[in-house]
Amino acid sequence: MAKESYNPFLMAQAQFDKVAQGLSLEEPVRELLRNPLREYHVSIPVRMDDGSFRVFRGFRIQHNDARGPAKGGIRFHPQETVDGVRALAMWMTWKCSVVDIPLGGGKGGVVCDPHNLSLREQEQVCRGWVRQLAHDMGPFRDVPAPDVMTNAQHMLWMLDEYETIRGGRYPGFITGKPVGMGGSLGRTEATGYGLVFTVREALKELGIKPEATTASVQGFGNVAQYAVRLYQRLGGKVLAVACWDQGDQVSYTYRKQGGISMDELSAITDRFGGIEKAKARDLGYEQLPGEAWLEQEVDVLMPCALENQIHAGNAERLSRQVKLIAEGANGPTTPEADLLLEKRKVFVIPDFLANAGGVTCSYFEQVQSNMNYYWEKDEVLSRLDVKMTSAFLDVSELARRKKLFMRDAAYVIAINRVAQACHERGWV
Amino acid sequence: MAPEGRPRGGVKFDRARVAADASFTFLGDGEPGGKAAGLAFIKSALDERFPEGDYQGIPVDIPRLTVLLTGVFEEFVAANGLVLDELAELTDEQIARHFQKADLPVAVVGDLLALISGVTTPLAVRSSSLLEDALYEPFAGVYATKMIPNNSPDAQSRFRRLVEAVKFVYASTWFHRARDYAQATGHDLRAERMGVIIQEVVGHRFGERWYPTVSGVARSYSYYPLASCGRADGVAHLALGLGKTIVEGGASWYCCPLSPRTPPPYASIQQLLKNTQTAFWAVHLGQPAEYDPTHENEYLVRSDLRQAEADGSLRYVGSTWDPASDRLSMGLAAEGPRLLDFSPLLRGEIAPLAGLLGELLALGREKVGSEVEIEFALAFDPGAGRPSRFGFLQVRPMVVRTGGADLAEALHDPRQVLIHSHQVIGEGEIGGVRHIVYVKPEAFAAGTAPRIAAEVAATNRRLVAAGTPYVLIGFGRWGSADPWLGIPVTWSQIAGARAIVEGTLPQMNPDPSQGSHFFHNLSSLGIPYFTVPNAEGIAWRMLEELPAVEDLEFVRHVVSPGELRILVDGRTGEGVIAC
Repeated sequence: MAKESYNPFLMAQAQFDKVAQGLSLEEPVRELLRNPLREYHVSIPVRMDDGSFRVFRGFRIQHNDARGPAKGGIRFHPQETVDGVRALAMWMTWKCSVVDIPLGGGKGGVVCDPHNLSLREQEQVCRGWVRQLAHDMGPFRDVPAPDVMTNAQHMLWMLDEYETIRGGRYPGFITGKPVGMGGSLGRTEATGYGLVFTVREALKELGIKPEATTASVQGFGNVAQYAVRLYQRLGGKVLAVACWDQGDQVSYTYRKQGGISMDELSAITDRFGGIEKAKARDLGYEQLPGEAWLEQEVDVLMPCALENQIHAGNAERLSRQVKLIAEGANGPTTPEADLLLEKRKVFVIPDFLANAGGVTCSYFEQVQSNMNYYWEKDEVLSRLDVKMTSAFLDVSELARRKKLFMRDAAYVIAINRVAQACHERGWV
Repeated sequence: MAPEGRPRGGVKFDRARVAADASFTFLGDGEPGGKAAGLAFIKSALDERFPEGDYQGIPVDIPRLTVLLTGVFEEFVAANGLVLDELAELTDEQIARHFQKADLPVAVVGDLLALISGVTTPLAVRSSSLLEDALYEPFAGVYATKMIPNNSPDAQSRFRRLVEAVKFVYASTWFHRARDYAQATGHDLRAERMGVIIQEVVGHRFGERWYPTVSGVARSYSYYPLASCGRADGVAHLALGLGKTIVEGGASWYCCPLSPRTPPPYASIQQLLKNTQTAFWAVHLGQPAEYDPTHENEYLVRSDLRQAEADGSLRYVGSTWDPASDRLSMGLAAEGPRLLDFSPLLRGEIAPLAGLLGELLALGREKVGSEVEIEFALAFDPGAGRPSRFGFLQVRPMVVRTGGADLAEALHDPRQVLIHSHQVIGEGEIGGVRHIVYVKPEAFAAGTAPRIAAEVAATNRRLVAAGTPYVLIGFGRWGSADPWLGIPVTWSQIAGARAIVEGTLPQMNPDPSQGSHFFHNLSSLGIPYFTVPNAEGIAWRMLEELPAVEDLEFVRHVVSPGELRILVDGRTGEGVIAC
């Protein structure tokens, strides 16, 4: 995941520094915001199924909580690094701020590969992580959620461990819970739908009807699948999707010129978003190299997998037809690629705005959990639509007025709000 | 599922312009449905005819509305796995609950929230299906309309009520009423597609009630012309409060727009008083009685004339009877029983209502190219300094059959004549009918109308299932919701009838009915409707001698040995049913 030449935290700081400079933020404010407020590094010993012990390394980074409790997911990944988690925590601060929800930014992770762990072992990792961090987290301090290779079951194990330690029921401690166990209706769809809400608004601004557009998507997990469904519902056509092949340990792009069928592909996709390649070929999909997704002759690109996917080395290969990139993943575009896209006048909806649907719905889940009263799905999704649309319009209006790139405008709004909160609290 | 071309006269809903001047918008894709298409059609004609937006100082418009196109319904049903055949055995309430538990498509919920956030006046959530209000396939009155007060300060609460109302209207597509009607008219309800209109309710607030001063239905052609008017001069039915009173066949005032001072025929003022409107419907703005999203009248309240007088709305529509002089005086200045004859509006010229109705009927006839029926509502309260507003709610083409028929031969042998009347709607000859279902005059008594309705409905269901058309004979207004004015059946409960006879008895002697939805369905389906005052034109002895198929407590089903001859002269309104 993380190449030696690529440090996501440095990239995140560089993005922040650029905006801070433009805002003329005072040095103490910059110093406060460009680094996490708190970091926890933990060791999690686990007895494996075969009787041996392993010690897993875990993190929880609380970047900033001036606007509210820290919020952010927990990812399990064998190549996770603390710099990666720091960057993600910072992006969470900006993400919560740009959609104007009263939360700060945090992120956590454990260096492990759940593919290679039994369910019991995964449960022990989850419970062990909470045991190490329970006293520094909670509904009013830091609220975790699922992320890469963690899911609702992991959240429930963590919640159960937390409640055992605390001696009570605290459904607001964690989000991403199953519906019926404190989860919110609409959460599953939220990030993907939220992404397409911003795509819809961006296309309006560009004066393009969705039904006149085509798209290519990287990733075929939860975010991508719901994004594709809603995008197709609006009339758009997805020509290609790319995903990770666990068996071959590489990515492939699957293309169908007439447009992919969600029903076809979802039927041959595993729970990690991997498409069965032989079946895809049997269904008439061309199997192309992994990076082919960004070279397609389409109007919209939706990177919905990992960071650092559009960079200086491949940005030139984007088709001239591409008018819009909606970043469903975190950090998929490097600053160097940004420069090229800006020059080409590609409209980029930055990650922390475009994929904020998930955290927005997490916020809704947190609210419902703390009230112990749960809304109907219509209500959740309508609130999500209005929130995401409002956030997009705020950013695009600033971008237009100040002639800024969308990413910069989003950062300006986000950072300003957090800086204001720090100032009003008397921190700086 | 790409959006199709927008309906004529409307624009795509834009949440950035909710509070702006977009008065006719649509959401989703597909078709607008009958009602919405009719309004879209007439909108530009209204704009052209009333360029200043008013008629002699009364603003005239189509109340602001947003249409959920039929594609939203299709997606709703498909995405939630709702299948008509699987729900067919359930009660209407159970069907409604299934629909309430289902989720609206994500593509529209954000827009609905934005819509409701910008609107805080009562709304009517109305059906607009593909089968409604088409000229020859009238599904008028079959589906639900739900009114919501929309007055909570919390937008989310208003959103929930709106969503419940939309789902309720969707559910009504598959209610028994709709299914029975579809079967009777040879339609496959699985092919039905439901659009929904979300529209402002014209009216003013009176305490905890919201209602228009006048609502009405007007037709450009009348089968019961008043003394000084011809059939082509039209007729209007007027009611205080929501138009639900007229739709359900309740007491209303009828008049001719071209001769508004001419009252309907009556024997005495006491007879007028017996048949005057005494209660009215309003949207209830206070605490609802009981939360039940599966109930159509959840947010409606029925009040009496004393309430209207206290509200101040009665003064524009009422007159007062002086028993001593047996005279009516316009208005409420005097003490005495009130009569809703709308004379202050029609005679006192405080508002040009009659002229406006005449203008609109002429406009409708011109633009639609046929006779028309329109629905409207008037908010009028100048005494309280509140602005007036005339809302144009619906336009439907009317089929008027005036071909004529030769009755002479059928009337040649009186011994063969079962029914003879000079007040008949319809025209031509109806064949293929041998069965007759009639209410036994000797069994009819005050208060029995609901039980009669149940027997009629059961008989109708049996005959429809067997594909057997019949003649229906009864007393009072067929379809009136008021059991003291007639027999409270819905259209689907008598939809198997191929001719309908309305007689009167001393104990059931209201004005001849023209229940709005029955009328439209009758004329469009070519079903003759006989009015027989005092039931004198009915050969009871002959009916009793016909072989009985079934003899219930109130209703008798008989069959003629040969085919009945059912003939109506549409020019004169004379008709006969003979063996």
